[in-house]
Amino acid sequence: MAQQILIDPVTRIEGHAKITLYLDDSGSVENAEFHVTQVRGFEKFVEGRPFHEMPSLMARICGICPVSHLMASAKACDELLAVSIPPTAKSLRRIMNMAQIVQSHALSFFYLSAPDLLLGMDSDPAVRNIFGVAQSHPLLAKDGVRMRQIGQQIIEILGGKRIHPGWVVAGGVSERLTAEKQDRIAALLPDGRAIAQRTLEWYKGALENYKEEIATFANFPTLFMSLVTPDNKLEFYDGILRIVDSKGTVLSDCDQPDHHLDNIGEAVEPFSYLKSPYYKPLGYPDGIYRVGPLARLNIVEQCGTPLADAELTQFRKVDRQSSFHYHYARLIEILYCLEQIGQLLEEPDILSDRVRAYAAPNQSQGVGTSEAPRGTLMHHYQIDRNGLITHANLIIATGHNNLAMNRGILQVAKHFVKGNDLSEGMLNRVEAVIRTYDPCLSCSTHAIGKMALQIQLVEPDGTVVNELRR
Amino acid sequence: MILIIGYGNTLRGDDGVGCYIADCLSERLTNPDVEILSRHQLTPEMVEPISRADLVIFVDAGLEGIPGEYDNYRIVPAGDMSSFTHQTNPASLLAGSKELYGTSPDAVMVSVCANRFDYGEVLSTVVASAVPQVLRKIERLVEAEMTNHA
Repeated sequence: MAQQILIDPVTRIEGHAKITLYLDDSGSVENAEFHVTQVRGFEKFVEGRPFHEMPSLMARICGICPVSHLMASAKACDELLAVSIPPTAKSLRRIMNMAQIVQSHALSFFYLSAPDLLLGMDSDPAVRNIFGVAQSHPLLAKDGVRMRQIGQQIIEILGGKRIHPGWVVAGGVSERLTAEKQDRIAALLPDGRAIAQRTLEWYKGALENYKEEIATFANFPTLFMSLVTPDNKLEFYDGILRIVDSKGTVLSDCDQPDHHLDNIGEAVEPFSYLKSPYYKPLGYPDGIYRVGPLARLNIVEQCGTPLADAELTQFRKVDRQSSFHYHYARLIEILYCLEQIGQLLEEPDILSDRVRAYAAPNQSQGVGTSEAPRGTLMHHYQIDRNGLITHANLIIATGHNNLAMNRGILQVAKHFVKGNDLSEGMLNRVEAVIRTYDPCLSCSTHAIGKMALQIQLVEPDGTVVNELRR
Repeated sequence: MILIIGYGNTLRGDDGVGCYIADCLSERLTNPDVEILSRHQLTPEMVEPISRADLVIFVDAGLEGIPGEYDNYRIVPAGDMSSFTHQTNPASLLAGSKELYGTSPDAVMVSVCANRFDYGEVLSTVVASAVPQVLRKIERLVEAEMTNHA
């Protein structure tokens, strides 16, 4: 008789989700579904709010990546104002954005995934956590704490607090950078670079231990999407939105933010509150694509900073279709961000007091796109003549990866899970493929009033006796 | 060093009392040996400043008791840092400090019983009325610790 295996909750991710594995009569995995079980509703309850509130409202979508939402939201508001913000404001926003990437990537690698990587996918769940890492690899655990601190301290220096900072506003930032703050931020960078480099050295040496996971963790061809600079380097704040195929051939380039969504469709599946974006010219689900660190490094020719570029040269040797290498890409991005923050702090006008453009609303819609730690983030707002929000659509980085996550858990489950001889390590690998994407699920679900709904009545032996769908 | 950590959601009424008290103490306590953090939530990175402290005072809203009354009690290291990063608690932070840095300071929780958690940035009248007493209580804890180490 067909059975189901339920993994609930998925552990060591941000947000709440569960996974259902459907087995055939022989106990082999036949299908898998990744269910995002949260409903947030931000897209609905911001309707009627003044648009200038949006950055601080949207920052509260998440406690892990609030700065990412500040950036995309503020950029959408800049479009509504029809202003070009001062260059210094752009550089300052970039610094905060990259500090966000440092701390978020550190959380993902050191806290959420290192227990698997260091202690083994089959290790005792009771110790497969940051405590277990602290016992077996104390230096790496301390490095993780320190790296996250560095990112958060930079955010706090700039924005006044680590979680839900202010400072980023429509038109720019609310106050200039002082020399004292500049020095405090600069003093944090050498430590961070050293940690990133020694972590990369350890990780590259450990890749041999993960051959099976590398071969099976969402290792299939997809498109990739990210922002890039005009000369094809890493870009987290502005630039061209590029989509490439699995071989790197450019399918789409768009430098007009209000056209960024033209090629993106969103499908709704009955088993999850997370929508499934896809590349419209290829249809659903063939238009599957991935975003985030792996996608970014697969698209660019160079990072743009010397230490990160040296690492990128070695990264090119791995199988870049495998989602397992999101971990590797994350470490390189941490190094890049720390280098880039240092360069931005040395710009001649970084202490300028020209940090904000002022205007009344001049456009009725605005799209803000930036690269969050997890991938491309888009905020799309429409306002009435009074500047009140009439419509908001958020396409969240994690959402872009939804199709790939679903296909990934099926691939891993088919390879590792034997229903007739189940072990905890098998199920941990199904969770671990989700962790490679570092999903931020609290960010990713917002639609309300249009969710699909599926209710099943299931007997204790797993037989579905009734089902209701909307 | 004495570390004071006030935490809570300042957008949910009395839940923000920990942050409110920490912010007040930042203006009243200027001794360089006292470090005060006002935070939205407890996070694993706090193990580092905790490891450097001789005494940690956590300040938070509580659910037990009569609204406006406060309690203080000792906390010992316990548990682990959990599978979910946003469920860190004081005892697990102390345990993390011991595990990572080999040391765990004395720790006290000062808990103010909340009246309501409605949306809003204002404390309820009964909790706001308790703040001066809580501030004095914490200042006495700080003085006693300073005297012990003098």
